[in-house]
Amino acid sequence: MALTPGHAGHVRPDHAPSRPASYHGPMATDHGNRHVRIAFVGKGGVGKSAIAGTFARVLARGGHDVLAIDSDPLPGLAFSLGLERSDAPIPDEAVQERAEGEDGPRFRLRDGLSAAEAVERYSVLAPDGVRFLQFGKMTTGPGTNPGALFRSQNAFRQIVHGLPEDRWSIVGDLPGGTRQPFYGWAGFATTVLIVAEPTAKSLLSARRLARMASFEKAPEQILVVANKVRRPGDVETMARRTGLAVVGAVPWDEEFADVERLGLAPIDEAPDNAAVRAVESLADALVGSLVSAVAEVPDPVS
Amino acid sequence: MRVAVTGKGGSGKTTTSAIVARVFGRHGLAVVALDCDTNPNLGISLGVGSVETERLLAMRETLDDESDDGGGDHAPGWDDLLDRFGSDAPDGVRLAVVSRIENPEPGCL
Repeated sequence: MALTPGHAGHVRPDHAPSRPASYHGPMATDHGNRHVRIAFVGKGGVGKSAIAGTFARVLARGGHDVLAIDSDPLPGLAFSLGLERSDAPIPDEAVQERAEGEDGPRFRLRDGLSAAEAVERYSVLAPDGVRFLQFGKMTTGPGTNPGALFRSQNAFRQIVHGLPEDRWSIVGDLPGGTRQPFYGWAGFATTVLIVAEPTAKSLLSARRLARMASFEKAPEQILVVANKVRRPGDVETMARRTGLAVVGAVPWDEEFADVERLGLAPIDEAPDNAAVRAVESLADALVGSLVSAVAEVPDPVS
Repeated sequence: MRVAVTGKGGSGKTTTSAIVARVFGRHGLAVVALDCDTNPNLGISLGVGSVETERLLAMRETLDDESDDGGGDHAPGWDDLLDRFGSDAPDGVRLAVVSRIENPEPGCL
């Protein structure tokens, strides 16, 4: 289906797309024009989408123009944002094939279509005024065009990397693992947040992802968000085993997990939940200052 | 029998694969566990530990390097590859990593 400009047909009907005047949470303070560009990475299943979606909503309530982007071909961020659809394909008409002798990827945004215009046209409006951008999802079967996703992905990357820095705060949710982060998909981000949980597999993935610091186009800062924290000492252990600073600690929370299980937005269904509060603190820490915010992260269970 | 395990990130592919491999091994089958994830963690779930999991070189990367050097006169067989690059996990399972990303190429789609 074609998306029209300002398309809002998939916002959950009980949520107005504007910022609620009644919100008095930690982000009610105006953060001015300080834009942030953050990529959430980490092993599959650690909770990137749940945290990223909540984080995007919190930023929007704090006055940011937020573009929330999902680059997973099996997308899931939209549910945590409070949308009822998971994808937002960029149509063929937005893309043209590279001309003979032209550098760059095989497909690019068509002539005359700027990244900023593409966001206005193809992003989907989510609650609190968050804009959601994605590139379609894996489909198979009769009538599907196997090249369409590739074209859409090329356009998506150019939109995200070509956006002027004077308006949007970008919150990106990358697929689990190292492939996309190691191949430049987080290149838009000045801050990369590695979401980890206190498990050996997640921490091994986090250590690998920390190598992004040595890349040619390294982000300004790479920090850990400790998720599913259950025991005293988890946060300290995670800092030690990743060798990175922990900027946020989100406690394991049954209610938060149940909301995620149902494909709903934690910030709507469980606004006073401890995990949601922890994401609000994370946003405050990241917007308020850079590395100085890292010094003291309270252990949520000690 | 050749089994491939797929699914969304975090759904339990690695844990499931490791248990299935160990159970087959206990039943006396000669099992090769191939970690085809670019972020390979299968060794941890099989029980070889994180140090050994990180030590395992990716077969594909190493083979690419050899062909770059012009050193590979003929393609080695699977048994050779498993001897050179594999690791012994409990219950007789032989683990090998196929495609870890060692040298990222920024800008590549």
